[in-house]
Amino acid sequence: MIEIVPQLLFTGLGIGAIYALVALGFVLLIRAASVVNFAQGEFSMLGAYAMVVLTAGLGVPYFLALPLAVVVMAGFGVVFAYTTYWPLRHRGQLPVIISTIGASIFLANIVLVLYGPSPAVLPGLFDDAGFEVGGVFMDGQFIAIIVAATALVLLQFLIFEKTLLGKKLQATSQDKEMASLLGIPVAIMILITFAYSAALGGLAGILVAPVLFVSVGMGALISLKAFAANIIGGFGNIPGAIIGGLALGVVETFGAAFISVPYKDAIAFALLLAFLLVRPQGLFGEKIAEKA
Amino acid sequence: MSVSRRGVVVGVAAGVLGAPWVARAADPVRIGCVFPSTGPAAEAGKLQRQGADLALAMVNEKGVLGRPMELVVEDDQTTNPGAVLAFSRLTSQAEIPAFIGSIRSTQVHAMAPDVLKTGKPMMIGGTDPTLTHMGNRWLFRCRPNDSFSGKVIAQYGVEDLKKQKWAVVYSTDAFGTNGGKALESSLKERGITPVLMQGYTNQASDFSAVVLAVRSSGADILGTYFTFEGDLGIFARQLRQLGVRIPWVGSPSITNTTALNLAGAALYGTYGVADYTADATPASKAFGDKYQAAHKAVADGQSSWTFDAVNLLGRAINDAGSLEPEKIRSAILAIKGYNGAEGEYNFDENGDGLRGYNIIKNDGGKIVFDRRIDVKG
Repeated sequence: MIEIVPQLLFTGLGIGAIYALVALGFVLLIRAASVVNFAQGEFSMLGAYAMVVLTAGLGVPYFLALPLAVVVMAGFGVVFAYTTYWPLRHRGQLPVIISTIGASIFLANIVLVLYGPSPAVLPGLFDDAGFEVGGVFMDGQFIAIIVAATALVLLQFLIFEKTLLGKKLQATSQDKEMASLLGIPVAIMILITFAYSAALGGLAGILVAPVLFVSVGMGALISLKAFAANIIGGFGNIPGAIIGGLALGVVETFGAAFISVPYKDAIAFALLLAFLLVRPQGLFGEKIAEKA
Repeated sequence: MSVSRRGVVVGVAAGVLGAPWVARAADPVRIGCVFPSTGPAAEAGKLQRQGADLALAMVNEKGVLGRPMELVVEDDQTTNPGAVLAFSRLTSQAEIPAFIGSIRSTQVHAMAPDVLKTGKPMMIGGTDPTLTHMGNRWLFRCRPNDSFSGKVIAQYGVEDLKKQKWAVVYSTDAFGTNGGKALESSLKERGITPVLMQGYTNQASDFSAVVLAVRSSGADILGTYFTFEGDLGIFARQLRQLGVRIPWVGSPSITNTTALNLAGAALYGTYGVADYTADATPASKAFGDKYQAAHKAVADGQSSWTFDAVNLLGRAINDAGSLEPEKIRSAILAIKGYNGAEGEYNFDENGDGLRGYNIIKNDGGKIVFDRRIDVKG
């Protein structure tokens, strides 16, 4: 059995990177707008469908369609903010959470009506499926996802920690009134956050689509695990989302191989429960009491 | 002609208050259908509806009992609670004399107690053998059950492909579990114990552990029972990526149009048991041509069974000469030698209409009919 460990490790990291990529979108909105967006999975689904429409429907070349789809998703993020978040922004977190749940159902059904239930195939970034190194098959798409997740976490870290825009976004998240008094355009900061989060979600969907296919249900399939990755890594923590996602992917892949395939999801959520019981703030999270 | 007062009273009571199956000539005969319009099987549900509609047009050329037939479709949401809810919405319409249920065994199991209580025939596509062997006299199957598919997969793999070391991969839902068991027991009847029996849960995003288990088992042939085409597509791709090249004989989902589109080259060279293949019989071909003309697509097993179910119900109601459920039931059981899209129907006392499968091969993306195997005894 030991000979399969390197393969399991690579696959687990690949699957984990998918969770991490979607988890990043969660983190952004949690940090900047204090919104837990349960439509984050649908952002991914919409991004993948936008790509299918652009490449298969309109014949736009893949590498031109990719940035175009991401820009379309950023625009969609602004519309989403205006319709789902803005009218409820003064009513606390719960109404906004419920609003995002409603939006996720609405978006899934709209896509179902427009494009039908048939899953679609979206080609990957590379023509080759992958390559073998020392008996381990390296799926090209998994490599692309791992690289993209690493690049995006760096980008996100730089934006939040090293730029004025990032500091304004964080200030908006922590205290909107104070940020406003300091001259920060709160409304614009929130719209930027939604636009970036939707673009990120869309990009995740485009990268994941060659692995999981493009379907109405693809967002729901991964967003629950991405949410769990957030909790494991530390709610609203960028490195935490990445480590949490990768850990979840590796644990469930090894659990499936060495414990039980049918209980793979149970193993992943057992890890989540263990964190909630033993370390509810997650790997990198701060204790709520300390924050208060 | 003299009319007794008692006769008039009985007639009025029957017409106004009485049995809902008493005919009103102007009304259509309504058949309740539980198909998925949403959820992971929504695509399959669309194909099921298309097959049923094609048959409906045929039935309505002559009508049933001099009346048109109409389909009332409720969405089962591809879930068991959804199926139960959809069926309850249909049973609240008392004039519906018969139903067409799900292709998914787990959903037929969920509805079965209510079907028994309702006491009206339901044509089903679910292939779990137990469905027609658990004392529910109202379920009638329009596809061969998995005890036959298990036997056919085992027979083809052992006798035609000459393989002995089997790995069996199956979904852990009712369909997959019972299919896997049926294949295992068919192999054991031949003195073969599979080297691997591996279940998986539906809607998985990764099958690497399953594929590595197959690879490590040393199997020289793979038999599978996959429920969802998306799962099949991911598994097929990972199987090829991780270098597993052994012959693969799959349950009918391996031949579905959706699976072929999703998995593409990863399914080239595989074998499948298909309840429907256009080249199997003249009736299959006639249906395939009709479907192609109507929908500009190749028909598959999702649409063929509902096509047969509507035709069989139309025939049974006409043979029964009544919408009374008990009479329709007897008429269905009396159907022998009916050539449908899925094969020749000879209903047994349990409600199983078919006993054979077609073996097909995916030859570079083209589905090629090999031969039909009918199970004796």
